[in-house]
Amino acid sequence: MGTGALMSLGTRAMFANYAALTTVGNNIANANTPGYSRQTVEFATAGSQGSGSGFFGKGVDIATVSRAHNEFLTREVAYTGSLAAADSARASQLSQLENIFDTGEAGIGYAAGQFLNAFVDVAAKPQDSSARQVALSRADELATRFRAAGQQIDALQNGVVQALNTSAKQVTDLAQKVAAVNEKIVNSVGSGHQPNDLLDQRDQLIREISQHVQVTTIAADDGSMNLFIGGGQRLVLGNQAAAMVTVPDPYDATRLQLALKDGGGTVTLPEGLVTGGSMAGLLKFQNDDLVDARSLLGQIAASVAGSVNEQQALGLDLRQPAGSGAAIFDVGKPKVLPNNNNAKAGGVDVASMLDVNGVRISTVGLTVIDPTELEASEYELKADPGGSGNFQLTRLSDGLARTVVAGDVVDGFRIDVAAPAPAPGDRFLLQTVSGAARDIKRVLDDPRGIAAASPVTATVDTDNTGTASVASIRAVSTTLDPNLRAELSFTSANGDYDWALFDAGNNVVANGSATWQAGTPIALNGFEMTLAGVPASGDRFTIDKTAFPASNNGNARALVELRDAALVGQRSSGGVVTQAGVTVTDAYANALADIGVRVQSSKSSAQMSASAAADAQAANAASTGVNLDEEAARLIQFQQSYQAAAKMLQVAQSVFDTLLQMAGR
Amino acid sequence: MRVATAHAYETSLNALTKRQSELSEAQLQLTTGRRVNRASDDPAAAAQAERALAKSSRADASQRAAESSRNMMSLTESALGDAGELLQQIREALVASGNATYSDAERKNQADKIEGLRDQLLAVANRSDGAAGYLFGGQGSSTPPFVDAVGGVQFRGVSGEISAAGEDRLPLSADGRSVWLAARSGNGVFETRAVTSTGTAVVDAGQVTQPGALTGSSYSIQFSINAGVTTYSVLRDGNPTALTDVAYAPGKAIEIDGMSVTIKGAPAAGDEFQMVPSTSDLSVFDLMDRAVATLKTPFRTGAQIAQSNVADLRDIDQVLGQLQSARAMAGDALNRIDGVSSRLDTIKLQASVERSNAEDLDMVHAIAEFQNQQTGYDAALKSYSMVQRMSLFQYLNV
Repeated sequence: MGTGALMSLGTRAMFANYAALTTVGNNIANANTPGYSRQTVEFATAGSQGSGSGFFGKGVDIATVSRAHNEFLTREVAYTGSLAAADSARASQLSQLENIFDTGEAGIGYAAGQFLNAFVDVAAKPQDSSARQVALSRADELATRFRAAGQQIDALQNGVVQALNTSAKQVTDLAQKVAAVNEKIVNSVGSGHQPNDLLDQRDQLIREISQHVQVTTIAADDGSMNLFIGGGQRLVLGNQAAAMVTVPDPYDATRLQLALKDGGGTVTLPEGLVTGGSMAGLLKFQNDDLVDARSLLGQIAASVAGSVNEQQALGLDLRQPAGSGAAIFDVGKPKVLPNNNNAKAGGVDVASMLDVNGVRISTVGLTVIDPTELEASEYELKADPGGSGNFQLTRLSDGLARTVVAGDVVDGFRIDVAAPAPAPGDRFLLQTVSGAARDIKRVLDDPRGIAAASPVTATVDTDNTGTASVASIRAVSTTLDPNLRAELSFTSANGDYDWALFDAGNNVVANGSATWQAGTPIALNGFEMTLAGVPASGDRFTIDKTAFPASNNGNARALVELRDAALVGQRSSGGVVTQAGVTVTDAYANALADIGVRVQSSKSSAQMSASAAADAQAANAASTGVNLDEEAARLIQFQQSYQAAAKMLQVAQSVFDTLLQMAGR
Repeated sequence: MRVATAHAYETSLNALTKRQSELSEAQLQLTTGRRVNRASDDPAAAAQAERALAKSSRADASQRAAESSRNMMSLTESALGDAGELLQQIREALVASGNATYSDAERKNQADKIEGLRDQLLAVANRSDGAAGYLFGGQGSSTPPFVDAVGGVQFRGVSGEISAAGEDRLPLSADGRSVWLAARSGNGVFETRAVTSTGTAVVDAGQVTQPGALTGSSYSIQFSINAGVTTYSVLRDGNPTALTDVAYAPGKAIEIDGMSVTIKGAPAAGDEFQMVPSTSDLSVFDLMDRAVATLKTPFRTGAQIAQSNVADLRDIDQVLGQLQSARAMAGDALNRIDGVSSRLDTIKLQASVERSNAEDLDMVHAIAEFQNQQTGYDAALKSYSMVQRMSLFQYLNV
């Protein structure tokens, strides 16, 4: 055994420990680098040399530098992180949406209530133009609040579009980086050592992609990592990356869909496939929450405006001569959006035509028939692929599907189909109320235009002996002919009465007998009269055209009563009400609570998924992160080993010196 | 378990941020005094508060309606009070003009006085509410509602009344026709008339003795004198009754079918008096026009003067009664308005309590909570500053 052995042992040990010290130093240096995994130098004995007296070790070798890594935890961090990003993106968008649904005096419900309350003052002084002006200002305030809310929803939609576009660009960018790192890793695998920092970098890139969209990772044999979206759509394959792009929704170009684009073309990703990452949260917000918020607001706006306009049309205004009231509100029209995959001829949709202004519109049209029955939903209309001419109508809020034909009235609106009819399989998105709130306007400017008067007035004969008085009389149909005079005379104490309608020449136009029931209005000629008290036999009532509209307040009182009318969301089947609607106050309170519950639950799920993500991060950090105290200890450990190895050299030196001295003597 | 240093710092920083945001949320609640600042703070409570707010603003509107009704009714009530005083003066003038010693000229003076009072009365009936409306306009009228037309004062409007919005139906106008033009004629049930009176007989207004026996028919009392004996027969709708050829005693009541009339003085043969059912068409103004016309007529007999005086006084009492009942109705409406108004106050109070219960903060609880969070934040800060000082490097001297 030569004297060089100890020297060689010491040198190897010094080299190994120095390497360990640099690794510890690297750990300390990168303690705060995101995605960095703790590295350790793996020592191995350098083998031994046999001799007659046994095997002598040859010292230490550095096997490799390894990184602390746990496949499962790495994946878990990316996965939980993507879910947390989805929930937090939706929660933060929802809390912005919530600001649109103001509570209390700043809210739409309050403005609607105040608008209808203003008719109390009109009823108290029908001839007072200041009370009428107040009612008009309140109408304007209500319309403004609806409009502002609609515009804010549009602004949120724009924000979603921006965010999706930015995220798509970032994902594309990150995917390209992953492909580049994959290539480097594949090239370095031949060295026989793990390229720790490249692997860390790739894990970190995948974590960043997961923040935007959830990906599935599949490791290939050559060391590269392939990324897929929605279980099968390839984002990164080896050193090739696809681009993530946004494409417009086939119906509504203001909404976006995600798609992957590579040399082979563009593949659209349905919302259901995008399960995690901020883009999933944004898509859910765009396709569910924003659509619902728009529909809820639109439903209230369309129902209130429609009912007020209908009641207004039944009354008499203050013009000279008095006429039936003009509309107070104009709401956004229902919209029909054709799918851009519909059958085309000559570059335009088959089912389209030019309107009077030369604008191309769909031949499918919508007309609101009963504003109180409008639903807070969009509908999908699909022409029967079999070509029967029927349509399949799906209410998107609850998925209710019905078969309809042109001209059918469904949920308060009528579907009109003009020629040319849609081709079989054509699809349309029907937005009955979505634009109602955004485009609502007050269109009545003249305070005298408020129809406070009822077109007919009831008078009680002075010789009546019963206790009956007229509780209310109002027009209920525009078919009412105010020039007909109605006379009622009770013929018994049980409420039997004879009625007759007279024309201007005092000729009987129609007559008959009926029985009055307490609490039930008497309906004749398009008006309804309610009696308070009990009529006696021989009592007479005359209903005549209102002679002095300036001081009549019958219709203003009917407008006031809209406060308690079930204006919103009534459902009926075959003319029978199957589900009563709610008042405007309740409708707004319900919409407010609906959005509130969404915010609340999205916040709590964001909290839960954030804490799951934090747990996964903590577990991963515990296994791969750098603890400075540990590194300090290791620093000392390897420093001492280094010192010992140095001592070994010193001893070798001195042994050698001793030998030289002895030999020199 | 290994604690990764960077992660530990990040976690404790996150915890600090969370504590801070909770603290600021608690502070927001304390400064606004509201527990529910957004719908998501408590969706059910927010919806409840929304409904309570609607209830309260509706009570405000109803209160304004009640106020207008109160305004109209107190004006109406005072107008009817003024009318009552004027009618009392007219009545005094009529009583005075019944004085048998008055000359035609003196009666004409009284007539002039009544004429002046009548014009004042018409002004009261046409009194405006000060806002382009009329107190007695009914369900709408010409402006003004009462027109002094040929043939007497007419109501140019629609009878009935307008009521304010709301289920209480508080009145906003009085029915001018029924107040001024539709008092019951006669004594309210039947009306006595001298059809032919050539003697000195005068019939009084009569009275109802048995309401259950009334028939609603017209009666005629016809006098004849046979051999110096004055007899009378009562015909019901032209048919003879049990009272046929009854001997007449002046001042003795003639009773039939629950009615009783008294005829005084000496009727001549062929004199006829009638009792017809009352109708609701006695106009205040017609009454005065008639009284003025008769008082201005010269050369009337004492019986004629007495008979017309009886009729005038009877009718003016009816009219006074009608006005008083209208005034009582206005007073009653005022009472009702007070009731409605105090009920509305209660509703408003309830609504604000409801709203406050739903969304206001329990201050004691909130302050305790705030202090709790403050302590928590303080502890988090302290432990952070203590932990970050602890490192092995502090102890190594390498």
